[in-house]
Amino acid sequence: MSESLAVCDLQAWYGESKVLHGMDFSVRAGEVVTLLGRNGAGKTTTLKAIMGLLDKRSGSIALDGHELIGAAPYDIARKGIAFCPEERGIFASLSVRENLLLPPKVAAGGMTVAQILTLFPNLKERLDSQGTKLSGGEQQMLALGRILHTGARILLLDEPTEGLAPMIIRQIGRTITELKALGFTILLVEQNVGFAAGLADRHYIMELGRVVEEIPGAAFEGRLGALKSYLGL
Amino acid sequence: MTTILGVPSAVLYGQLLLGLINGAFYAMLSLGLAVIFGMMNIVNFAHGAQYMIGAMGAWLLLNYLGVGYWWALILAPLIVGAISIVIEVLLLRRLYKLDHLYGMLLTFGLALMVQGAFSNWFGSSGQPYTIPQALMGGRNLGFMFLPNYRAWVIVTSVVICLGTWYVIERTKLGAYLRAATENPMLVQAFGIRVPRMITLTYGAGVALAALAGVLAAPVYQVSPLMGADLLIVVFAVVVIGGMGSIMGAIVTGFLVGIVEGLTKAFYPEASTTVVFVVMAVVLLIRPAGLFGSKLEAAQGQPQSGLSATAPSMRTQTLIFLALACCLAAAPLVVYPGFMMKAMIFALFACAFNLVAGYGRLVSFGHSMFLGSAGYVCGHAAKIWGLSPELAILAGTATAAMLGLVTGWLAIRRSGIYFAMVTLAFAQMVYFVALQARFTGGEDGLQAVPRGMLFGLIDLSQPANLYGFVLVIFLGGFFLIMRLVGSPFGRVLKAISDHDVRAQSLGFETNRYKLVAFVLSAALAGLAGSTKAIVSQLASLTDVHWSMSGEVLLMTFLGGVGTLYGPLVGAFIVVAMQNYLAAFGQWVTVIHGLIFVLCVLAFRRGIVGELIELWHRLRRTPPAASAALREVVVAPQE
Repeated sequence: MSESLAVCDLQAWYGESKVLHGMDFSVRAGEVVTLLGRNGAGKTTTLKAIMGLLDKRSGSIALDGHELIGAAPYDIARKGIAFCPEERGIFASLSVRENLLLPPKVAAGGMTVAQILTLFPNLKERLDSQGTKLSGGEQQMLALGRILHTGARILLLDEPTEGLAPMIIRQIGRTITELKALGFTILLVEQNVGFAAGLADRHYIMELGRVVEEIPGAAFEGRLGALKSYLGL
Repeated sequence: MTTILGVPSAVLYGQLLLGLINGAFYAMLSLGLAVIFGMMNIVNFAHGAQYMIGAMGAWLLLNYLGVGYWWALILAPLIVGAISIVIEVLLLRRLYKLDHLYGMLLTFGLALMVQGAFSNWFGSSGQPYTIPQALMGGRNLGFMFLPNYRAWVIVTSVVICLGTWYVIERTKLGAYLRAATENPMLVQAFGIRVPRMITLTYGAGVALAALAGVLAAPVYQVSPLMGADLLIVVFAVVVIGGMGSIMGAIVTGFLVGIVEGLTKAFYPEASTTVVFVVMAVVLLIRPAGLFGSKLEAAQGQPQSGLSATAPSMRTQTLIFLALACCLAAAPLVVYPGFMMKAMIFALFACAFNLVAGYGRLVSFGHSMFLGSAGYVCGHAAKIWGLSPELAILAGTATAAMLGLVTGWLAIRRSGIYFAMVTLAFAQMVYFVALQARFTGGEDGLQAVPRGMLFGLIDLSQPANLYGFVLVIFLGGFFLIMRLVGSPFGRVLKAISDHDVRAQSLGFETNRYKLVAFVLSAALAGLAGSTKAIVSQLASLTDVHWSMSGEVLLMTFLGGVGTLYGPLVGAFIVVAMQNYLAAFGQWVTVIHGLIFVLCVLAFRRGIVGELIELWHRLRRTPPAASAALREVVVAPQE
């Protein structure tokens, strides 16, 4: 399988403070890969660095061989990477429908609104509500659905299960499996190890802004002990 | 003739029509301000100047190029919009991450430059602009006569306002705009070029102002200052409506116009001040504005503060004594009149700095304290025959009272809103001064007697007068110095750093702010009263908004939040006025330029930059500090 996203020696800063100290990892086309780590390990920062949302970053982020360091966020998005932020980023001044249709199409082949509504039936009746009037789970679905519309093939999902009820977490898990079956490439940041275990092809463990271990999905159970020491579970 | 509540109906309808016209312009301008503020977090103080360029542009196109009204209606907004796009790309873009106030200061500087230059070229008197042929005449509606052009202005502005509302609230483009207002980073991450969108929004908002200017050209006189006074009313409209909503801006604009028109019919004396009274009432009842949803923090990022610690008590005392000696000896080498004027303004600037620098409440209306105290002091000395010390006391007390009332209302808002509210109150005081009997209107109070201080010292003797001003200045300065170093001053600084945190420590922050504001007003009043005695004149110049701008300039140029900065700034600005007087209005342009340079290049001001430089030189060598920065900091999730 080809390497879709290859990150090499990625360093990133928030103002003066350095947060990523040389990240190396890759995501192949069609894979679901997770970044696991404690609070403050730099998982969210890695996603933001890929999207170009930080003031300063260096190293290499290659998308199918094209370098993304130095590109502006809007150009990176146009290359087919979509970002679903941890805080979900639903716009209060936009209706659900407007939120759903906001991200412009970056490539052909995105899901239609009908397909997205089949995936998340809860949204169907709320299309004309104000975006932030939805429940937390619905907002997460909206945030996910919104980026499926664009035609982007690589999805960066930042803790999609955070703060949600178990039933909704299971629904989101099923959705991610469906998306994988549809051929999407997914880089998932998670704290919920149980959730990540069942979904991903590979896991990267992060500590203090570096990848410290790569665990194949199949070996996950066996490495649970080591994992617990990393994550402090 | 029919009358309604004692007013002839024709007069009433006429004033209502005029109110609607004014309201149309308020609506169009506050709409542009709201859109620009939403996207860029910048209160576009140049909005009035850009409106003026629209009107002047139409006039220039007609008189120099023979281009008529209809083409001007298209060309002027396009040209002004294009210029503003260049301004956004070159200047404003650098300010987005800073406190909102910097954007306000920069655009204020730009407005000064433009207005000064136009006044220079075309004089400040109004130029007539004839109504286009097609819209001449009018029609009789039975109950009133409606001139066609006025009907055209109202209809056009309603169409433009509703069109803008539709675009923003109902279209895809508007959805991008609204989303980018909320979370520009995320919108960028979706693949939208937000920086370009911001540039175009600014261009469009300004073009809207210019379009309003062209529409206004045949209604009002076209003059370089036509936008400045209008803008202050528009600020009041913005405070009344709240900047959150587009429809709110439109409705409030028309509403305020109508209220003004009604007041003109029933009680003409209050027509210029009614807007500000409404603003005060709204601040009392709904501080967020009629359509505002919440009180925005509007604080932005913290200021690039001074890392320097205050010098020790002994150093401070030594510097103060040296300063006193220099000022006492200065008349031997410098013209005493200049020194006295500079000291008075220095006291004014130091008083302003007390709230702007240490309390971070940047007031755009400090002229009201200087001016009103001057009037009361002049009146007390001239009409009531009070001795100078009592007259000054009366003036100072008046300013303190005014500070108490306006401060009590204004501290309900912070940041840029505070600036707008104070500016509006100052404008209200200005109109009162213009109309009241005892101020002498345009002439001012002349030949104020200097009198005998304590009945003993004859202030008409130059040496006595100089000594008197020196003592007042040093006294005021000493008071401010001690205040800043006192626990009160520290609490004030803490509040300006982080209001909520100071509250959680148990400080009643609003009370501290109010006390600081009243003190500042009283000291500004002391300066104003002394000025009236020294110059033997109390005039409209001292209450005009440009005086508030001047004190801002002095403080920012010298170094806001530094003890000696305002002093240095005041001396430089007064020297510039004295020695560049021959250049006329160009001085205004230079003032504007200094504002722009200050905001772009040295935000700490002269004294602030010097202190910073001094500390940088004394600090550990740069290699060591660079190494320190490499230390791993816990990364942010």
